[in-house]
Amino acid sequence: MRSFAATLLVLAFCSSAMAQSNPPPLSPQCEAPGSDIAANAPLAHLAERLEKGGPLRILAIGSSSTTGVGASSRRKTYPAQLRGILESALKGVEAQITNRGVSGEVAATTADRLRMEVALEKPDVVLWQLGTNDALARVSAADFERTVSSTVEWLKGNDIDVVLVGLQYTPKFARDENYFIIRQTLQKVASEHNVLHVRRYDAMQFIARHQPGSESLVSGDDLHLNDTGYQCMAEHVAHAVIANLFVRKKDLPKIEPPSK
Amino acid sequence: MRAPNEIDFWRGFALITIFIDHVPGLVFENYTMRNFGLSDAAELFVFLAGWSMRLLVDGRRGRMSVLESTLRLESRAITIFTVQMILTQLALAITAAGALIFENPLFLEWNNAAAAFQEPVETQIGLALLTHQLFYFDILPLYVVLMFMAPLFVIADRTARWLPLALGLTIYLATHITGMNIPTWPVEGRWYFNPFAWQLNFVLGFVVADPKGVLSFTRNHRTLLRILAAPIVLVSLWLALTDFTPNPLSMPQPRLLFTFDKTFAAPARILHLLALVALFSGLFAVISRLLPSITSFLSLLGRNSLYVFSLGSITALLSQYVRYELGSSLWVDTGVLGVGIIIMGFTAWIVEWRGRQRGS
Repeated sequence: MRSFAATLLVLAFCSSAMAQSNPPPLSPQCEAPGSDIAANAPLAHLAERLEKGGPLRILAIGSSSTTGVGASSRRKTYPAQLRGILESALKGVEAQITNRGVSGEVAATTADRLRMEVALEKPDVVLWQLGTNDALARVSAADFERTVSSTVEWLKGNDIDVVLVGLQYTPKFARDENYFIIRQTLQKVASEHNVLHVRRYDAMQFIARHQPGSESLVSGDDLHLNDTGYQCMAEHVAHAVIANLFVRKKDLPKIEPPSK
Repeated sequence: MRAPNEIDFWRGFALITIFIDHVPGLVFENYTMRNFGLSDAAELFVFLAGWSMRLLVDGRRGRMSVLESTLRLESRAITIFTVQMILTQLALAITAAGALIFENPLFLEWNNAAAAFQEPVETQIGLALLTHQLFYFDILPLYVVLMFMAPLFVIADRTARWLPLALGLTIYLATHITGMNIPTWPVEGRWYFNPFAWQLNFVLGFVVADPKGVLSFTRNHRTLLRILAAPIVLVSLWLALTDFTPNPLSMPQPRLLFTFDKTFAAPARILHLLALVALFSGLFAVISRLLPSITSFLSLLGRNSLYVFSLGSITALLSQYVRYELGSSLWVDTGVLGVGIIIMGFTAWIVEWRGRQRGS
């Protein structure tokens, strides 16, 4: 807990040092420390687009959490909610979000689709939600790492920012070894390539532990998010994106991600 | 029943290939034609459908009138639509049963099925409108659109022999330049088989099959064509073996023309298909002499392709669960392939048997 408080302090200091960055406050039910949401990494191309006055072109790709399985309507999916949050936070800037989620898909399949979708949509940033299906389909960590690394490298090489949106937390998989390994691998790839990684698992776990009795984020099947869950997912991604819009490489504080 | 012929034979070949490709992870999927070139069995299947349309409208009884061919093609479109509805419903039932049997709600997501269970109200409409498709159950919607559009090409053909190809190429180029495709709903996305791009495979089959058409010169210069086709097939083989794909972002506009994309039936894939056709047309004569039983079996499948495809698709889906339960091994996979071929063969046999019963 002490190290967590220290991290919070460091982060608070950093964000005050970067007066420009002003992520919108999180709703009470989505409250989680910034350090549990994402470590800082630059989003240079998105920032450049913002400086030109937008519109921000965002490609949201991934599996069921991107299509919005469990949401009560299309407007409640995380990309749809994210759009609202971004547009109100970056007053006057349009955010065009294309949703290309396909339920039940592993990262390798998404990676195949991703290149063509990128060529068609020409986004400034790709939000790639991944990992859960790979863990359940028992994809080996080495294969998963190779897929994610090569795709991230390709995106960076083509001047497109990438945000990796990680695995979700459900008590059901808290002890699943494969789940842990895939989560660790994703974290490793993100820090090796210095790309933004929204650690949904940590953020959701924090909420589950610190807000007992609050409205649950997952639906009855214990696997998929409900509207509140998608709202928090959108808020966390928005928080990470906006906090990092103005980060330059040289400004980056050296913070070790919490080892968990 | 018509005797084994080249079209039915290759269609049977494509049907078995499609079955193998529709069981993800199956050992044999590493040895189907897509691993040795750019195009795959889907292109061959659609090309042969165009060829069949030529045989239909310029049939033995002489040239069919525009009205008659329109009625025939549109009723075929309705038949295929009906089959698609039944297949999708069966696939959803299997998916739901899988989730119950294995007590794992994640199975409901397999093959893009999630929306049918999570958003049933919208998705029921989407399934009927063909704007929601399950993986591996997405080629018949393409056929529905192709058959629906087909009279347009027949009318063009009756107007001038060069017109179908010109029309097909124009639609194809417009599609590649604008990136147009049919959107999916309620899940946001696009059709996997873009009919505006894929129609060119169909039109090419229709035009190549015309003995007096604009591509009829191909029939008189087979040796020259083979000499031209061989390097294309070899380069494709090398590209497939080295897993090379062009980076779509470093290509000039219109980018889609320079990729190997399947959704947009990229030119490279079509060129490869045509090269395969040029190189291997006539091989049937050799195979039918050397391996008469295989020839008649594949032709049997090809003669009854809609039924065989349907049962093959359902068997392939069931095989996904069999492999989940039994794990993957050469024994399991060989069993899956063997059972699949037997079911497809039996399906074709019983359809013809029933036809003979009716006829007698």
